[in-house]
Amino acid sequence: MSLFHAQGLVKRFGGLLATDHVELAVEAGEIHALIGPNGAGKSTLVNLISGLLPADAGRVVLDGVDLSTLSPHQRVRHGLARCFQITSVFRNDSVRDNLLLAVQAQAGSSFRFLRRRELERSLAVRAEALAVRTGLAEVLDRNAGTLPHGLQKRLDVALALAARPRLLLLDEPMAGMGPEDSQQMVAMIHGLRSDTAILLIEHDMDAVFQLADRISVLVYGRVLTTGDAAHVKGHPEVQSVYLGTEVPACG
Amino acid sequence: MHERFPGLARRLPWAVLILLTLFPLVAPALGLEYYVGFVRRALIVAIAATSLNFILGYGGMAALGHAGFVGVGAYTVVALVEAGFSSAWLAWASAALVAGLAAAAIGAVSLRTRGVYFIMITLAFAQMLYYLAVSLRTWGGDDGYGIYTPLVMGTWLDAAHAQIFYWVVLAIAAGVFALFSRVAHSRYGHALRGIRDNETRMVALGYPVFWLKLAGFVAAGAVAGLAGGLLASHNAFVSPGMMHWTQSALLLVMVMLGGAGRRWGAPLGVALWLTLEEVLKLYTDYWHWPLGLLLLLVVFHAPQGLAALLERRGART
Repeated sequence: MSLFHAQGLVKRFGGLLATDHVELAVEAGEIHALIGPNGAGKSTLVNLISGLLPADAGRVVLDGVDLSTLSPHQRVRHGLARCFQITSVFRNDSVRDNLLLAVQAQAGSSFRFLRRRELERSLAVRAEALAVRTGLAEVLDRNAGTLPHGLQKRLDVALALAARPRLLLLDEPMAGMGPEDSQQMVAMIHGLRSDTAILLIEHDMDAVFQLADRISVLVYGRVLTTGDAAHVKGHPEVQSVYLGTEVPACG
Repeated sequence: MHERFPGLARRLPWAVLILLTLFPLVAPALGLEYYVGFVRRALIVAIAATSLNFILGYGGMAALGHAGFVGVGAYTVVALVEAGFSSAWLAWASAALVAGLAAAAIGAVSLRTRGVYFIMITLAFAQMLYYLAVSLRTWGGDDGYGIYTPLVMGTWLDAAHAQIFYWVVLAIAAGVFALFSRVAHSRYGHALRGIRDNETRMVALGYPVFWLKLAGFVAAGAVAGLAGGLLASHNAFVSPGMMHWTQSALLLVMVMLGGAGRRWGAPLGVALWLTLEEVLKLYTDYWHWPLGLLLLLVVFHAPQGLAALLERRGART
């Protein structure tokens, strides 16, 4: 049985069928890429899986647990974490405070009112460990909003990792990156595969072919096909709707 | 201030507290007896403003119905007086409790909305409370309710000194302020500010955002209710007017004037606003417009409020 399964997911926006009975499975230890032209419904699908958007029909199952009726924050507790296409960090806080906030969410209750958080050594230790793991140790005391784009993206991933996910949803982690930052991000994602399965939404085809074990192609809200890189490259419909007719924005 | 004069920044609040404590003792000698009552009222308003600053400044919840909770607290005292109770402590504790319950019910609905909708729905609830008070004939309705038998704090306390109520209010205000300042640095305080800055990300981090906001809203409502209970004792009179929406707006203005989300924002804003009001009233009947002018000045020159301005000035000198 797969680690993660999306079954018959449907989302309508008025008359538009944005997600059309999507079936998607991610195996343990797998990096599964989701590609598709602009407007194919990739971000909608990520929002349905993470629960930020309510689905009209279908189920989301992780590790045998049906997450469909759970709120987004409860899904995180069950091991489903995500990043954001548009970098979403706490811009006015230091990188350290960003990481502390992420770590705090997973280390016991936040309904603690009197004890000063800075006295909790264990939180600081975990935040620093996370920084080391994601290559942010050098910039711990810088304001997140002043970091270069590549590092902000890294921080975005680090915040999601604090949840110790079993499935990590990466929504275009290389968006807007130059080739150098992209390669660093590829290396970082590669390093994560021993810890968590990854559903990778990405436009950067080089990165996708480097990282993904399997690739699903989403077109008009439907999964056109799923397979390894060779299968997807050779698929005639994929070539016509995606690789052939639209030049992907390789960064 | 914090780098150059670390001692000053730390000692100033204590100096103010000592001055406030001594004020009723020296006021008669200075001919300022009247102002003991004024300071007492300012302290009570500061309690309400501090609770609003907590949800507005730290939690990002722009509630335009906070005076509603002040009113619920005040009318709780009225209800107890009407029922024949006379213990001040019981009355004030009940005021906080009932206002907290009201905040739980109102927050459970309001906190499902955001932004302008949240402002409007909190306003709507407070106006419902206002009209409820207007229609309650047994508690005076439109005319208000006079409390003719003063509440007692306990024989030894009441007999101790004429100004004992002043010190009780001062102690409660200082306690409330210290408590909220402390909570700001706790896990909860950090989570609340995270929600203010980036709610979606907080959800994605796994925080139960709704419950965290509701807890803050209830705490703030309860403290506003406590302020309302104290205000009922202070005025010996309660009327629906104290929960009119303009009162809620006034609390918001004072907090923003002082600096929303700043530790000293609420007390600074209250002190400045009420003092100016008091002083301007001596010279003109049209005391509203200079206050309006001041508000414009602050909006343009210190949009973060007075507290932020002082912090920056302090850092530069």
